[in-house]
Amino acid sequence: MTREVAEVLISGIALGSIYAIMSVGMTLVYGVSRVFNFAYGSFYIWGAYLAYLLFSASPDMSYPAVFAIVIPVMFLFGLGVEKAVCAPLRRRADWQMLTVMSTLGLALFLDNAALIAFGPHKKALPPLLEGSTNIAGFMVSTHEMVTLAIAVSIMVGIALFLGRVRLGMKMRAVAQDGVGARIVGIQTNRVFGYAFALSTALAAIAGILLAPKYFMYPLGGWTILIKAWIVVAFGGLGSVKGTIYSAFILGIVEALVGWYFGLQWPIVFWFAIMLATLAIRPRGLFGTGE
Amino acid sequence: MKMRLTKKLDREGITLLVMLAVLLLLPAYFHGNQYIMHILIMCLIYSVVAVGWDFMLGYAGIFTFGQFGFFAIGAYASGMLTLYAGIPVPLGILLGGLITAGAGVLLGLPCLRLKGAYIALVTFAFHLILVPLINSDLGRAMGTGATRGLLSIPTLAVGGYSFSVVDKIPWYYVLLGIAFLSFFIIYRITHSSIGLAFVSLRDSDKLAKSLGVDEFKHKLMVFGISAFLTGMIGAFYAHYVGIVSTRILGLDIFLMVMVMLVIGGMGKFPGAAIGAFIVTFLNEALRPTAEYRLFIFGAIVVAVIVLLPGGLMGVLFPTGRVGPGERFGHFIRRTFARKPRKNGGKELL
Repeated sequence: MTREVAEVLISGIALGSIYAIMSVGMTLVYGVSRVFNFAYGSFYIWGAYLAYLLFSASPDMSYPAVFAIVIPVMFLFGLGVEKAVCAPLRRRADWQMLTVMSTLGLALFLDNAALIAFGPHKKALPPLLEGSTNIAGFMVSTHEMVTLAIAVSIMVGIALFLGRVRLGMKMRAVAQDGVGARIVGIQTNRVFGYAFALSTALAAIAGILLAPKYFMYPLGGWTILIKAWIVVAFGGLGSVKGTIYSAFILGIVEALVGWYFGLQWPIVFWFAIMLATLAIRPRGLFGTGE
Repeated sequence: MKMRLTKKLDREGITLLVMLAVLLLLPAYFHGNQYIMHILIMCLIYSVVAVGWDFMLGYAGIFTFGQFGFFAIGAYASGMLTLYAGIPVPLGILLGGLITAGAGVLLGLPCLRLKGAYIALVTFAFHLILVPLINSDLGRAMGTGATRGLLSIPTLAVGGYSFSVVDKIPWYYVLLGIAFLSFFIIYRITHSSIGLAFVSLRDSDKLAKSLGVDEFKHKLMVFGISAFLTGMIGAFYAHYVGIVSTRILGLDIFLMVMVMLVIGGMGKFPGAAIGAFIVTFLNEALRPTAEYRLFIFGAIVVAVIVLLPGGLMGVLFPTGRVGPGERFGHFIRRTFARKPRKNGGKELL
């Protein structure tokens, strides 16, 4: 019993780490530019499809090579999307609602492009590493351990980026006060673009890491979008720290509930937890208000 | 000032009247074609949903994604009431609307504690949670028919006359009446002081509140009215089609109505209704392209928003006279101008 619970907990932590990657991108964009990106799930699924494309082009390709190709491609794609779809709207008074609508249109476009290109059937990527490892007497699949390691290093990387790198500090400045940032000479439009591109790349990484376990299909991004949304709202919109905590909490909740009650229940518990949290604390665990 | 207000009233009103005139005459050309009549009926149903949504989103500035939840509640409520309790269908449709209005107020209560994107999340969660709820054992016990859906819902019957599936013309005219009654209600509200309060809350909630506009009361009212209209039209849909299942909560319909708002123009009143007609017919026209249909839709949405953020209404009436900014200015002037001076309070302008 205890052994089983421990194993469930470990898989919950691994799950939480992936939720953390994909939600951090979302909260970053919201925090910096107040854009609510509905196409986020489509970026996620396209990241996985790009990897699938690479694997079917050359089957013996290694994962580092795939990441080395997909991440820059999705980064540039995100940069272009922000320039073409979000930036032109920002001058208008009702831009926030318009960006919601335009990213929704983009999601529709990308999902159906995937449907046309890859068909409606579920596809899977090979696992990062086969087999399972024995850690302190517990059998854990190697794929999950690698995923966890990648996720943690990305989290650390983002923390360092936001804390030490100039662009990261600019992002925090813009997130705190857009007008103030512009006064001290930060080109906010450029920062918006980079934040968006970074989040696109993060979504793609999450897509590649989750695809071996959860498969991919053209509308698969929506479940992820909703999950990321709940993680972000529970942790507090725009708070990177809150998002990471909330991703791990909800990952563990999902693993425990799924193991104890059955697989269709985690999302119900997620909603219940989120609604209860928002009822008591309308801005989430660590939200900055506003 | 009075003059300008009446002129503005006319512009939206005239658009509505022209629409009504065209729609009254259309069956004269298409009465033989049941397929076109069916599409026109669906256009009208969607136009009410779109206008109800626009009322929340475009006018009151509430980021809501729960409209199809309202639609489904209305459809199921009226379907179940007429099927199990034997309530006459017109009364069922009305009760469906009222029950949905209750649900809307209940949903509005927690939502109004939240801000912007959080409201979107909670209302969308409401939409998403309805599907498993209706399909679950609990739903089955309540009589939703679970995954099978509600079957053989009684058809609309007024007095001794029962509407048939074959002849769409009577359905069309009854629906036209309901739809334009709904439009008229929204038209009246948006042009009353309550409507100005909504717009002021959307454009600058702090200033509006400082002027004494009760945000909570007004927004709860929006939830109630929008839910009532959407639920009522959902109930009508249930009796028209005769079958209700969770398919009406599908993502494709949801996105399509959103496209209607965008193409018609958000917050520009009859725009959403016109968008409903354009998009429904476009959807039918694109049907032969199969999987390319939604792909094309997505591209259209992005292009329209980036190039013409005001939608069709923004193109038709580009002056901004009808724009919310104007109305807000008028609201402030009227609030501050306590009594008319000799020159009509002009120095305040």
